[in-house]
Formats: sequence, C-alpha cells, structure tokens
Amino acid sequence: MAADSEPESEVFEITDFTTASEWERFISKVEEVLNDWKLIGNSLGKPLEKGIFTSGTWEEKSDEISFADFKFSVTHHYLVQESTDKEGKDELLEDVVPQSMQDLLGMNNDFPPRAHCLVRWYGLREFVVIAPAAHSDAVLSESKCNLLLSSVSIALGNTGCQVPLFVQIHHKWRRMYVGECQGPGVRTDFEMVHLRKVPNQYTHLSGLLDIFKSKIGCPLTPLPPVSIAIRFTYVLQDWQQYFWPQQPPDIDALVGGEVGGLEFGKLPFGACEDPISELHLATTWPHLTEGIIVDNDVYSDLDPIQAPHWSVRVRKAENPQCLLGDFVTEFFKICRRKESTDEILGRSAFEEEGKETADITHALSKLTEPASVPIHKLSVSNMVHTAKKKIRKHRGVEESPLNNDVLNTILLFLFPDAVSEKPLDGTTSTDNNNPPSESEDYNLYNQFKSAPSDSLTYKLALCLCMINFYHGGLKGVAHLWQEFVLEMRFRWENNFLIPGLASGPPDLRCCLLHQKLQMLNCCIERKKARDEGKKTSASDVTNIYPGDAGKAGDQLVPDNLKETDKEKGEVGKSWDSWSDSEEEFFECLSDTEELKGNGQESGKKGGPKEMANLRPEGRLYQHGKLTLLHNGEPLYIPVTQEPAPMTEDLLEEQSEVLAKLGTSAEGAHLRARMQSACLLSDMESFKAANPGCSLEDFVRWYSPRDYIEEEVIDEKGNVVLKGELSARMKIPSNMWVEAWETAKPIPARRQRRLFDDTREAEKVLHYLAIQKPADLARHLLPCVIHAAVLKVKEEESLENISSVKKIIKQIISHSSKVLHFPNPEDKKLEEIIHQITNVEALIARARSLKAKFGTEKCEQEEEKEDLERFVSCLLEQPEVLVTGAGRGHAGRIIHKLFVNAQRAAAMTPPEEELKRMGSPEERRQNSVSDFPPPAGREFILRTTVPRPAPYSKALPQRMYSVLTKEDFRLAGAFSSDTSFF
Amino acid sequence: MDEDVLTTLKILIIGESGVGKSSLLLRFTDDTFDPELAATIGVDFKVKTISVDGNKAKLAIWDTAGQERFRTLTPSYYRGAQGVILVYDVTRRDTFVKLDNWLNELETYCTRNDIVNMLVGNKIDKENREVDRNEGLKFARKHSMLFIEASAKTCDGVQCAFEELVEKIIQTPGLWESENQNKGVKLSHREEGQGGGACGGYC
Repeated sequence: MAADSEPESEVFEITDFTTASEWERFISKVEEVLNDWKLIGNSLGKPLEKGIFTSGTWEEKSDEISFADFKFSVTHHYLVQESTDKEGKDELLEDVVPQSMQDLLGMNNDFPPRAHCLVRWYGLREFVVIAPAAHSDAVLSESKCNLLLSSVSIALGNTGCQVPLFVQIHHKWRRMYVGECQGPGVRTDFEMVHLRKVPNQYTHLSGLLDIFKSKIGCPLTPLPPVSIAIRFTYVLQDWQQYFWPQQPPDIDALVGGEVGGLEFGKLPFGACEDPISELHLATTWPHLTEGIIVDNDVYSDLDPIQAPHWSVRVRKAENPQCLLGDFVTEFFKICRRKESTDEILGRSAFEEEGKETADITHALSKLTEPASVPIHKLSVSNMVHTAKKKIRKHRGVEESPLNNDVLNTILLFLFPDAVSEKPLDGTTSTDNNNPPSESEDYNLYNQFKSAPSDSLTYKLALCLCMINFYHGGLKGVAHLWQEFVLEMRFRWENNFLIPGLASGPPDLRCCLLHQKLQMLNCCIERKKARDEGKKTSASDVTNIYPGDAGKAGDQLVPDNLKETDKEKGEVGKSWDSWSDSEEEFFECLSDTEELKGNGQESGKKGGPKEMANLRPEGRLYQHGKLTLLHNGEPLYIPVTQEPAPMTEDLLEEQSEVLAKLGTSAEGAHLRARMQSACLLSDMESFKAANPGCSLEDFVRWYSPRDYIEEEVIDEKGNVVLKGELSARMKIPSNMWVEAWETAKPIPARRQRRLFDDTREAEKVLHYLAIQKPADLARHLLPCVIHAAVLKVKEEESLENISSVKKIIKQIISHSSKVLHFPNPEDKKLEEIIHQITNVEALIARARSLKAKFGTEKCEQEEEKEDLERFVSCLLEQPEVLVTGAGRGHAGRIIHKLFVNAQRAAAMTPPEEELKRMGSPEERRQNSVSDFPPPAGREFILRTTVPRPAPYSKALPQRMYSVLTKEDFRLAGAFSSDTSFF
Repeated sequence: MDEDVLTTLKILIIGESGVGKSSLLLRFTDDTFDPELAATIGVDFKVKTISVDGNKAKLAIWDTAGQERFRTLTPSYYRGAQGVILVYDVTRRDTFVKLDNWLNELETYCTRNDIVNMLVGNKIDKENREVDRNEGLKFARKHSMLFIEASAKTCDGVQCAFEELVEKIIQTPGLWESENQNKGVKLSHREEGQGGGACGGYC
C-alpha cells in the first residue's frame, strides 16, 4: 500500500491510448462535442407553454466529426428559452427524471404547425442529431447502425449528458432516427418503424394501442390509462366554383386603347394562376382516454365535424406566375443584352444615314396622321416629308418589329401634344390618375432617382416595359427607342418643346435620361426664343430701345418692381420671359448696325469718361437707390445671360476638371479664371447698361458687402458717407479687377453665348442615339421599379394588409439606398424585383382567400370582421385555429367547401362502382361523405408506467404514429429504470 | 498614405459673401490666415486628410462664392455632399438673418436627406459682435445642426469644427460607406422553405 502512494509508482501507470480504435476515438470526439456545448448534467427548464414550439425561436449548432474517414455532422437543436435561474443547478437533482423524458408527456405542444420532425414525434425541446455529413451518404447496414447507437450510449454514459442523442440511419429522405436519452438510473430508447404501406391491423386506434401496450410490456394489471391525442388532416384541392378570377390581359384589346384592355402607362397586376393551391384542415381530438372512443376496423367515432379543434393551413402555389413581377423581371433582362439598336433592328448604320430624314417625319407623321393638325404648326416642310415617307413606306413596314397601330398609340400616349390644339408649352399631361404633386407618392421619384410619375421619361419606361413584354420584345424596344430619338431630333429642329417635362434646368434628383431630356428642352427653349427674336427682327428691338434708352427702360418696368432690390431676381426672370426678343445672342458680332453705335469703344482701355459717351444698352431696370459714383446717373441693372443648365454627368465632368487643377495657388487661380466667364459676361452687360460706371458701382450691385461705407466728418463738420471697396477687392490685379479691366461694354444679347444650345442639343441627341437597349433599360429601371412600387401600393390599399404595408416600406427604403448609386449591382436590383414579386403574390393570395371564403358576401358585420381576421391570419401564420371548430362561421364555410368538392368528385363515378353498391342508402352513406378520406392521421399515445419490473420507477412512455397513403411511421420512446438491471 | 484612408467625404462650405468661408478653409487646410484673400469666383476646391477616432478620412472641400449671382451656379455642387458647413459672420446680423434662405436652398438641391449640417459663427475675434452665441445655438437646435463659433484669424474652433463634422458623418450609417463596399440591408422575406429540417403538417 505504501508503495502505491510513492511518486515513482505512478510513472508506471501510463495509460496507453496509442492503439485506440477508430471507434474509441469517435466516442471521445462525440464526448468532446457534448462537453464543448455544455450539454452535461441536468438543467430543468420551465414547463413548456402552449404553442411555444411555434412562437418561440429554434436554433441549432453544428459541428463535424468523423468516424475513420466517414464524416458525420453533429447538430444540437434547441428551443431558445430565457435562461432559467442557475439555482436549480446547484441543488442536487440526482433523482429527477431528465427534462426530455418529462417533455415526452407534455400535452401543450402536440402537432406543432412547423417543427423539426423529432420535435413533432417526441415533443422534445432540445436534442442532438448525428447524421452523415454528405447528403447522399447513409448508414445502411444493421451492424453499423448498432455500432453508432452503442457509441452514443457510451458517450452519454461517460459524459452524463441528459440531452437525447439521435443517430440518423438509412437514406436521409426516410427520416429514420434511433436514439437514446440517459438520466440517473433511467434510460429512454427512441425507436422507429417506417413502412411504405400501412399494415391492415394498424390502420386504426385500437391496433395502435395494441402495439403500444405490447411494446411497453407492462407487468402491471390493470394497465394505467393511456392518454390519446389524435389529429386527422383533410386536404382540399378542388375549389370548385371558386375559379381563379384573374385572366391574362387581352393583348389584342390594347390597340386602339379600348377600354378593358391594358392601357399604355398602366402596369398589369396579379397572379395568372390561383396562388393558393391547397387547404389543409386539421381536426384534432387533443385529449382522449382509452375507452371513451372507438376506432377500429369496422367502426369509428372519429367524425371530423365533431372534433373539438379545427385548424387550417393553406398551401401556397410555389412561385405563381405574377404579371407585375414578370413584367419587371423581363424588363430587367434587357439590361444584360449587349446588342446595339442597329444590330437588333438589323440595319446597317450606313443605310440609317440615308433614311434618317425620312424617319424623322415618319415619327411625326405617325403622330399627326390620325387627327387634323393645324397646318401652321407643321408648315410646308411636313407635306414634303409626308410625301417622302410614302415613297419609303413600302420597305419599312414589313421589317419594323412594331406594327404601325401600336406605334401610333404609343407615340400619341407619349406626345399628346401632337394632336391636341393646345400650344406646345411642355406642360401637357393627360393622365389624371397620378397622385397629386407634393404628395408622398408623387415625390417618390426623389428617393428612387427615377422621374415624376407624370413625366415623359416615366411614361416611356412603362411603354418600353409593355412593348418588351407583349409587342416584339427586344426588337420592339429598339424600334420604339429609335422612333423616340427621331422624334427628339424632330422637335429640336422644329422648335417644338418636348411635353411632359418640368421646365427649368435639369432636375438632378431624377435619373440621368430624364435630365438629358430636360436639357434638350432647355436648348429648344433657347433656340426657339432666338429664332422668334430673329423673326420679329431689328425693327421691334429698336422700338423698344430707342436711342435714349434710359426713359424707355423706365417705362417698361412697372413702378412697384423698381422699389426693392430684393426682388431683383424674380423680376429679372419674368421680364426675360415676356421679351424674348431682347435675349438675342449672336455668336459673333455680325450685327453691323449695332456695331456702329459702339464703334468708338476701343478695347479694354476705355476709361470711365470715354465710356460715358456710349449709348446705354441692355438695361433691365433701374436700381432703386443707387446712382453711379462718378456722374450721379441712376444705376441700371443689366440684362444678363442665364447660367448654363447642367446635367449631372456634365457637372461631374466639370467638377472633376476643377478638382484636377489641384489645391495649389496656381490651380486655384486657374479655377477661378475658368469660372469667371459668367462674371465677365455680367460685367460687360453692366458696363453696357451703365456708361461711365466704375468697378465700385458694379460691386455695389453684385457684391454689396464688398463696398464698405463709413460715416466720416468732412472738413465742414458734416457727417458724410464715405465708401470704398473692401480690402480684398483692392488687392492689385485680383481676378475681379482683372476681369473688370478686360470687360467691354457689350450687352448680353451680343455677347458670346455662355450656353451653346446648339452644341449641347447635339450632344444630347448623340447621347440618346448611341444608347443601346441595355443602357436604356438601366436608365429607366428606377422608373419601372418606382411604377411597380406604386402599383403594389395601390393594390394593397384595396386589400389593407398590414404586413404588406410594412414590406412595401422596407422595399422603398431599400431601393432608395440601392438606386442612388450610379451603377447598382445586379444582385441587389434582382432582390428588389424579387421583393416586389413577393408582395404581389401576397396580395394575390389575400384576394384568392377572400374570394374563397366569400368575405364580401358575408352580410353580418361582425361575422365579416371575424372572417376577414381569419383570412389575414391564414396569410401570416402557418396554422390558424378555427374558432368554434366545425360549428363556427368559418368552420361552416370550410365544411361547405369540402362538401362541394366531394359532390363534384362523386358526379362521375365509374359505372362498375355504381353497380357494386347495393341500396341507395348505402350509396349515399359511402360515396358522398362530407369529407374525403383523411390525407394524414396522427396519433399520440402516452402513459406513465414502471418498467421493466413492477417495482421499477414509473416512467414516461410515448408512441407517435402517422398514417398517410404511402407512409406508415411509428416513433416510440420507451423509458425504463436501469437501477437494478 | 492613401490606402489606409477609410473614405473620401465631400464637404461644402456655404454662406453669405464675406463671412469668411475661404478663410476658414484656408485656416483648416494650410493653417494660415490671409486678411486679403480675394473674393471667390464660382467654387474653389481643397483637399485634406484628417484622422478622427483613428479613422482616416480624405476631405474634398468645396468652397463656394457667396454672391447672389453665383448662387444660380453653386447648387450643382451640393450634389453628393455628405456634409455642409453653413457660415455666418457674428459681427454682421444680416449674414445671420439670411441663414434661412441658405437652408431652403440646401433642402431644394441636396440629393440626400441624411446629410450632416454644421453651423459656424465666424469672426469671434472681432469686437463688434452683433449675433449672440445663444442665437446661433438656438438656430442650430431648431434645424438639428451641429454648432460652433470660430475665428479663422485666431484659429479658434476651426479644427474642431471640421473634426466634429467628419465624426458625425462617419457615425451616420449609410452616409459614407456606400461607395467603397456597397453594404446593403438584407431584406429576407423568403418563403420559409423546407430548410432546417423543419416540416409542416404530418410527416
């Protein structure tokens, strides 16, 4: 004994694991995982609340272990519970039956709507599964199964883990599990039978009870009572007269804009097939005792109508074809096409060149042909063009992918001004379905970076979407785009404003294409003004501005406008707009007559005194208070050039150029110089309007804070205001002084244009022309998504589904994040489209259910409300309890649905069957029962019985069985006392 | 140097003419003060990399002209800015009164609504103060802006202003990270598939 305690002796007690078998190593790996996950020992949770398996969250942890080279995955599934106080753990819980065994008897969560099958079969709140890691792998041979099960048993015994451990055997689809749970002195074996066909003797409760009892092999007589829970599930597939109401839209009705068909500018909506495929009715007897009820091979008390609990679930059609979703998805697909417009239309660029002129009128003629158009608008040239077009027509027609009627309808929709008598003011909008401006919906374009829903761009997007889907696909898209571009050119060349675009500079909150169109409109506007100015010619101009322009200018400006300096901006604009003739810009000083007047001014060195002799020009109105410092003449605000409108890409380009100049002093100087064109132009205009003026005068108008006035007491003792330029303006040769010195007195109308509309228009037109259909689709996708969201919103408002409202909000915020970046990833766009499709399907499902349950037909207000609530629950929850079971309002409707389906099925029974049946009564009884045979029958049998000996501890026993047409499964959990065995 | 920069931020300085926008910027970027700084024409541009809370951010700061005439031009530069510094002159009440106009302009032209605004009362070194600090504070609170008083001349508050602004921008989710790593919010409303071993109904 003494020797044993000596240190040396321990050295000899080396345990040798070097020869450990694979099996031993596997067991230790299992133990290690169980230890890692802290599944050791018993911790009793709270009793499970009713329905917690559905309402609570389930989580799982996974790990991988291998047996030799065969990989298994170990997964711990558990219901997340608030951590129970650890006090329980401190107490000695030696004699307590493990949690899982207690759960076998729990009645609160029988038949959970959604759960892991082991949860459904055994009512467990946590368990560990060891399954082959690869999906195709399976443990098939009996010896291997036994080996696995023994490993589990040993691991559980070694670690003291009380969580049940299952092993999946056979092919995965069979869901065969065997398992074990060990506690102090107790053990539960989980066994399973899985057959293709139900053996005859077990098709009913009494047969199952027999198996259960024989499995328990209880030595006691009489046997303690067995508690029974039963659920029968009936499936309704045939909805009979509740046909799915949605028809695919009638394409032919489109042409000519007939009512009923889909109009351009509208999006289709809804599912093409019934999005609800099946209704499952589960009738449940939650708590029966043996002997209360009879269910054997000749007779059954289990009548579904009498069942105390009814619950319903619906099976949704998987990915039902939804019109809106398809529409947007198809449009999105264009984004991936690589072909250019010409490639698609199969015409060479060469041919195009020759054709162009004809095509321009082609586009217009299509617009104008159907209705009479005032001739003055289109002038003679149009006649010529029409003639030309007719010559060409014979070859164009068969080739064009869009037929003329469709094209005409679309062009009329896009350009309603072509037929209307209204002036082309660019504000025409025929669509009254748009949300009022300023409303949240209207301003969505802001978030999506699309375009207002009444704009041309938005309508174009919808038309292209429609054409892509119904009229010629990609070819049609390319064709319409070509026509559109031609129309744009036509409008530019003929000074017709583009309708459906807000006036003013490009709105940077909209998509680039929209900005480009707005830009083109700006160009057209300027060109139009210029051309009209030319027409009214010099005579008018001199009438307004006679030699002594000072007085005339005064008269022109209403008195109240002269009052305040503040209103200057607005006044300038309104004045501009009604005297366009004054806004003549010439690129070069070719107007000799005008030049004569200013002939003397000899370049830059014209001092104030010389300039005073000049004839004032280009006055806008007289400044309220200021007079020129040198000669006391009133100071006039000049007519100035408007700054150039910019689209975001131009702007980007420009700021890049400016940024590239760097941060050095020279860079800054160069930058200022590049931007001084506007300043110089304004100075020139100012000089022209105020002969004899000085920089001080200019600064007082332009940057009043840079003219500092101080009260000074002069030699006579009077307080006089003395002013001077601010220090920064007095810096020698600063940019302002420099510009002032270079500025010649030239009125705005004779200055070089700051904005070259011709060039910009050509740039835009070129840009439009080179856009491939894919580019176009990318430009317009935000508009399409915007429209789709509006459509979904509109449809939802009819149904009022709160969950959908929430999803729509999420979609909007998500899309606004995605679409604000120049090149959103395809994956994200797809996700948005997917979301929209989902919402569409949701709404379609709601409609389908409402139709089926006839919520509209319900007369009593209260019942209607209940029914509506029931329907919305069906959409959102996996399973809904029917209040009142078969006797409730909803229950009666469901019953009727089944009865109708049964009758319809019985309408055409095969001849022989009719013959076989004897008396009419029998026939009635058998053939037309209210419900079809149950698709699934589930039984849970439970009891607490001492095993294996009468004096053993009484332990939970449970057997679950499910019977369907091609499946029979028994899942038993049998516990026994291991203390003395 | 550039590779450890977390992000590039676009910042805009606006306000009435002569309130010291360019001076503030010059003080921040070059740490100098020039009493005779020429009036800005159009927009000017400076770059500076600063480090806030260990995050390096490259600032591209656009300085704008305050003159009314230039104002038709500058709104284009509001696009894509993450931060705006709105400056007034504490010695000239009129520059403070005009702040409302500037805010209106911001609202109209900014392409995003989560942009961070900062109000700076400049020239506190001068003696003839006309706008009280509390007034500035009140205005900033009303319009949920950051607020600081500063002097480009004495350097008071300038560095702090820019740092504060950048910190705030970096703390605002979704305002800046987007260009580098398009981190999107995952919206998952997929049908609960048959995944996870769960099954519905009898099985």
